[in-house]
Amino acid sequence: MTLTGIVDVHHQVTGVPLSWYLALSGVLFLIGLLGVLTRRNPLLLLLAVELMLNSANIALVGFSRYWNVSDGQIFALVVMVVAAAEVVIGLGLIVAVYRQRLALDVDALSRLKG
Amino acid sequence: MVITTLAWIVIGLPLGGALLLSLWPGEPDRALSRAVGVGTVATGFVLSAIVFFDLLSRTPSHRHAVQTLWQWINVDGLRINLAILVDPLSTMMMLIITGVGALIVWYSIEYMAEDRDYRRFFAEMNFFIFAMLLLVLAANFFFLIVGWALVGLASYLLIGYYYDKPSAVAAAKKAFVINVIGDVGLVLGALLIAKTFGTLDYASVFSQAPLRLGSGSFTAEMICLLLFVGCAAKSAQIPLHTWLPDAMEGPTPVSALIHAATMVTAGVYLIVRCNVLYHLAPYVSDYIAVTGAVTLLIAASIAIVQEDIKRVLAWSTVSQIGYMIMAAGLGLYSEAMFHLLMHAFFKALLFLTAGIVIHALAGEQSLNRMGGLHRLLTFASFAMLIGCLAISGIPPFSGFFSKDEILSTAMAAGPLGVVCGTAGVIGAGMTAFYMFRMYFRAFGGPERDGGYHPHPHMCGPAMAIPVGVLAVLATVGGFIQVPGGWHLVTTWLAPSLPAQPSIDASATVQWITSLVSIALAATGIAVAWWLFGAGPERRLAYADKLRGVRGVLLAQWGFDEVYESVVIEPGRELGDAAIRTAEPDLTQGIVAVATGTAMVTARGLHRMQSGLVRTYAFAMIAGAAVVGLIVVLAR
Repeated sequence: MTLTGIVDVHHQVTGVPLSWYLALSGVLFLIGLLGVLTRRNPLLLLLAVELMLNSANIALVGFSRYWNVSDGQIFALVVMVVAAAEVVIGLGLIVAVYRQRLALDVDALSRLKG
Repeated sequence: MVITTLAWIVIGLPLGGALLLSLWPGEPDRALSRAVGVGTVATGFVLSAIVFFDLLSRTPSHRHAVQTLWQWINVDGLRINLAILVDPLSTMMMLIITGVGALIVWYSIEYMAEDRDYRRFFAEMNFFIFAMLLLVLAANFFFLIVGWALVGLASYLLIGYYYDKPSAVAAAKKAFVINVIGDVGLVLGALLIAKTFGTLDYASVFSQAPLRLGSGSFTAEMICLLLFVGCAAKSAQIPLHTWLPDAMEGPTPVSALIHAATMVTAGVYLIVRCNVLYHLAPYVSDYIAVTGAVTLLIAASIAIVQEDIKRVLAWSTVSQIGYMIMAAGLGLYSEAMFHLLMHAFFKALLFLTAGIVIHALAGEQSLNRMGGLHRLLTFASFAMLIGCLAISGIPPFSGFFSKDEILSTAMAAGPLGVVCGTAGVIGAGMTAFYMFRMYFRAFGGPERDGGYHPHPHMCGPAMAIPVGVLAVLATVGGFIQVPGGWHLVTTWLAPSLPAQPSIDASATVQWITSLVSIALAATGIAVAWWLFGAGPERRLAYADKLRGVRGVLLAQWGFDEVYESVVIEPGRELGDAAIRTAEPDLTQGIVAVATGTAMVTARGLHRMQSGLVRTYAFAMIAGAAVVGLIVVLAR
């Protein structure tokens, strides 16, 4: 069963339809993905990753509303906690790199290569 | 207080002493080492005596108490408790260990006074006493083995006490290795007991054994044989006897306590403790009796040519334990224990007196550089004379009663008994000869050439008093069991020895055996006096004439050479060959292949690690996309 099939079966649900959530989520995810692949500044990289995480959150919340169960919302909260932790580590790393007076360029930070 | 609690304290005191002395920060005061070392053992003796009198006040059938501290192991139905058994046999051993032990540790105060490792000596002596008490008081085979192994460790530590002396270290290693052979036999025996009876507790093993094992059945014989391997190693019986003479590298008090009075008699104790099992194994018992008889003769013959005063005593110990093992093999358990007790007195006396001589001559142990010491060390001379008379079985000294009881009862114990008894009577003559050879060469005759420099000095009271006490015991101790009179040892041990056969030699046999062995002993003394009483000329002439026999005896019947060429050399060559061939090709080869494979794989894989984070991200996303695509298409 495809995704559109599910959407068709429950099209009588009132309010914003699920497909809108999913469309927004997909667009945000793609923007984030392109950001990760094209940007070299670690700060912007982190921003892009946050974007991807939050696009996943939108999808989770959308499904949660659609099925009328709260699991997805709780899971979105967990994702936020993980994201916060990840930002702490990421920003910490960036500060550490900055203190070493290294270039803030992820391509240049390749000393751990095999 | 319950007697078992007292017995636990007796075990705990020396352990506490050993821990206190070894964990004491820095070098403790010598007075403290002394006080702890002697105090724990002496207190243990007092408590043991209380236990003894408590048992004595009960009726014989109630002289038995087991106390369990806690369950130690519970595996698949086999329960092993940390438990001790207080009964006439273990109480007797406890009295010997703490009593003779206290005297010997007391003696060590002065003997070891010049030693730089005062604390270590007393700590290790206390540790030995603890281990030996655990061995004899254990209520099951498991803790017997624990104690057995710990006395082996204590023996190893104390033989190698002078660790900067290569010969002492080699002797310690040899003792340890041979004892481990015995330990393996003992452990296998215990495993067979556990398999057969489902328990290791003495009480239930000994009560089940007569019902579940037939006399002479394979299991019974096998259990007894395996246990005897342990006994033979610990008690220095042929063919596992070679470690004991080398063990004389330890300090003299150690030789007196561990390698004469107590530890080496553990094998006798074990056979006597398992008398119910050995009663069911007539063939192994016969083998044990023969082993004892052969050992006592061979050891006595080797003792005749030893030049080192302590090695004479060491071989005589092997020989005397041969008597005990022979008696135990013939089923004469209480006679064996009686001789064990008397031997503890007179052998400790002999070793400690030899220690006085060695101390007075500043470490000299060779009989070649002694002679004429009677005038210089009169006290030691009389003490040594008492010891020699006791071990030679001259009435009324202690050895007479115990040895003659073994021999005369053996004569009444069937054909094998007669053969063994005859060997014992001959051995008695040899014993008198080699002991008085030692006595006359050390104390009789002229002084050695050039005299003694510095002048030999009499020992102080700390050495003299224990020797005096032991001399009194070696003189009158035998009167606790008099043939035709009273049998205190046999009566006392009766509750522990359900399998003791009631063999009573007739008065005629007793008289004949006693008279013959006394006559042989007297002959031995007379020959020794004739050969060694005067200067060295006569003995050197005979030594020249009997060069062939002396060669065999000096080579100690070649046991060490045989072991060297049959076991040690092949083992060493196997090791060398393995280093040359198996080590580079097999052992190292496997490692080399493993490391090589890892290296090649890593070299291939390391290209993927470009260090570009965005490449990794792309790879992840591409991979996820591919997986997603496959999932979608597969539907």
